[in-house]
Amino acid sequence: MSETLTAKGISRRYGTSTVVQNVSLTLQPGQITALLGGSGAGKSTLLRLFAGLEPVDAGEIRLGDQLLSSPERTVPAEKRRIGLIFQDFALFPHLTAAQNVAFGLKSMGKEAARALASEWLERLGLTGRAEAYPHELSGGEQQRVAIARALAPSPAAILMDEPFSGLDPALRGSVRDTALAAIREAGIPALLVTHDPTEALESADCIAILQGGTLLQQGEAAEIYMNPVSAAVAASLGPVSRLKAEHLPEGLAGQVVPAGTELIVRPEGVLHDENSPARAKVLASQLTGPLCRLLLQCNGQALTALVPRTTAPKAGTEIGIRLDPALTFMFQSANT
Amino acid sequence: MPVIATLIAGLVYGGGDVWVHIRDTLLTGYTLGTLGTLALTAIMTLAVAVPAAWLVTMYRFPGRGLFEWLLILPLAAPGYVLAYAYADLMGLMGPFQMAIREATGLSARDYWFPDMRSLPGLAFVLTCALYPYVYLTARSAFVSQSVCALEAARSLGASSARRFWQVALPAARPAIAAGLALTLMEAAADYGAAEYLGVPTLTFGIVRAWQSFGEPAAASRLALILVVIVIALILTERHTRGRAGSQQSSTRWRTVSRTKLPLGAGLAASAFCGLVFLVAFFLPVSRLIWLSLESHDQIAPIGQALINTLILAGSGAALAFVLALTIALTARQSGLVAGFARLMASTGYAIPGAVLALGALLVMGQLGVTLTGAGAIVALAWVYASRFTTSGAEPMVAALGRAPASMGYAAESLGASPLRRAVSVDLPVALSGAMAGALILFVESLKELPATLMLRPFNWDTLSVRANAYASDERLAAAALPSLLITLAGLLPVILLSWRLSHSRPGDTQ
Repeated sequence: MSETLTAKGISRRYGTSTVVQNVSLTLQPGQITALLGGSGAGKSTLLRLFAGLEPVDAGEIRLGDQLLSSPERTVPAEKRRIGLIFQDFALFPHLTAAQNVAFGLKSMGKEAARALASEWLERLGLTGRAEAYPHELSGGEQQRVAIARALAPSPAAILMDEPFSGLDPALRGSVRDTALAAIREAGIPALLVTHDPTEALESADCIAILQGGTLLQQGEAAEIYMNPVSAAVAASLGPVSRLKAEHLPEGLAGQVVPAGTELIVRPEGVLHDENSPARAKVLASQLTGPLCRLLLQCNGQALTALVPRTTAPKAGTEIGIRLDPALTFMFQSANT
Repeated sequence: MPVIATLIAGLVYGGGDVWVHIRDTLLTGYTLGTLGTLALTAIMTLAVAVPAAWLVTMYRFPGRGLFEWLLILPLAAPGYVLAYAYADLMGLMGPFQMAIREATGLSARDYWFPDMRSLPGLAFVLTCALYPYVYLTARSAFVSQSVCALEAARSLGASSARRFWQVALPAARPAIAAGLALTLMEAAADYGAAEYLGVPTLTFGIVRAWQSFGEPAAASRLALILVVIVIALILTERHTRGRAGSQQSSTRWRTVSRTKLPLGAGLAASAFCGLVFLVAFFLPVSRLIWLSLESHDQIAPIGQALINTLILAGSGAALAFVLALTIALTARQSGLVAGFARLMASTGYAIPGAVLALGALLVMGQLGVTLTGAGAIVALAWVYASRFTTSGAEPMVAALGRAPASMGYAAESLGASPLRRAVSVDLPVALSGAMAGALILFVESLKELPATLMLRPFNWDTLSVRANAYASDERLAAAALPSLLITLAGLLPVILLSWRLSHSRPGDTQ
């Protein structure tokens, strides 16, 4: 039975700068938790703390009941049984795909290791590539080998550092689906470090948002998307428009907006409604596949809307708009 | 060119009586001497240089920062200088044997003591002088390795020993092999140490065939065998690399964070590095210092020899550097021509200076150029360049080999011409390799002995010529000062560039 991987109040400092500050995060077995944040947010450092590649300066990390990291004690990475997957694959260049996968299976017999390695390669759709060297494989194949390598020794948990961002977008989806299915099947805690909100929303069960070394919010993906606790969280999950209460036109919000607050609205929450008293000028109308993105100006404020393509108004026209309360979030205005 | 001239001479002219004599009586001994020396030197060099490079790159221990560059210093002392020092140190009248006799009261016949004037002695001296090549290339490979691969290995439960043997070492193998190839070519071409220690090697035979018998053709024939051995070495290295890639797929680099060794292991690491430095450099050099201080009345004027040496080494190194850079960058852009040019330059390195000089003399004789003044200096620079270009090119090629090939394609896709790609993309990547290359080139030219001996303008003594002349006359005390000056001159660029090396890293540092 797999156990949870838990961080409790962990911090990490480099000299005077604190890179990870008082972070508590629980990774449930069988679930993929996305760690989302911009560059420099401390995502990779947090992953390295979980992996045991760096010691914690405060707090503790546990696997079930077992203490892995505390300021006094760090179980070294090679003793943790935690799999790692990197953006640059980090395959051993001098070993074939099969030998790479078998690397972590040293405790088994040679034959058993070889059999298990080819089983894992097959599971990740790499049958026939077992004898290829890393430089003979495509990026997607390399990353699948790396994932097979990490999963083959049945690790207690798996940590992925931007595993798919080095891949061709056309490939990314299918590699990600294969990889994450295999990881879910393993039923172990999994951490997916990413800077891409779409990837986090699409592939993770839970999302934790990290900014400046601090966790802003964590929870189920849908919950965080629909109920962000701050403007920063809302903005980190996708594009938003910000509207100051002072400049809000009559009838746009459909709710009371006190002074000193601002509204954060997602583009799909800006609705085209000719019955609304609030009018906006369409500055531009851009096709984005099935939807059409409208750049609007309403009472001097910029707004972005996503509307169905068939009913999209043309640039230069004036339309009525209102906001969907479910996709509109009210916060204290940052500047006042 | 001198190589080709020599090879043609060797093939066309035949050997004459002297060749028959050599073939019947000495050839086996020469060949075995060279092969034995190479094998022993290779084993000892790997055993010393690779662990030292690994310790210094991956761990923190007392004196690490100091050892990082102290271990490069022996590069400044040529093999023949160490041979003089060690023959004296370990000889019958040397301090060690004296101390043993005093302490035990035994006479010289009653105990065994390692004899420096033997094949193992020669290999030992050559290891001391040449291991820094492997140390340098191995260290720069370890420094720029993909830290992610090591961390992945850790997460797969690999102990630090296993990470070294199965991850870092195979990935660094091309660089180590390049360094070892250098060491062995240099060892094969050694003349001064083999001559002084009386070990029959092919190079020794070549110089003797030319000097004593006046038979350039026989010398060229022996050189042919040497060339075959070295080409075999190069091809073996290329072949064993096989299909396995060494190119890191990594585009992100993380500074190696050194692990602190516990006190016991840390002191052991310090002791190992300290012993290497002591044996390979400190002991022989301090012996030479002591010898020259003891005999200050014998000191001959050597100021002019010093200036001559610097002029020659500087111009030879500059010419060789340009050639080496061209070879490294064109090899990067591929093409059969580039590969052929590289192979030819490699062979140039394998040919002892004396035979190269012979080839140069042949060519110049054909062109009607006489060996006077500036002409001789140009000829010498030419020989240095022919001989040392490979040593400069190898580390650069290795540095380029570690950069992802996609980088070059990226440059091409940006519309960069091959020239622009070479200058603005490959060149900066090759920089850490180029530094090592330039350093090696200058010191090599400075230490070169046999070709200088043959081609120098009349009365144009260099330090190495002086040292050799005194040592051959068993005037070791007089040989000590020029030997020391060669070492000292070699030290300056070694220190300067070792600092640059330890501060240059490819890619960003996260």
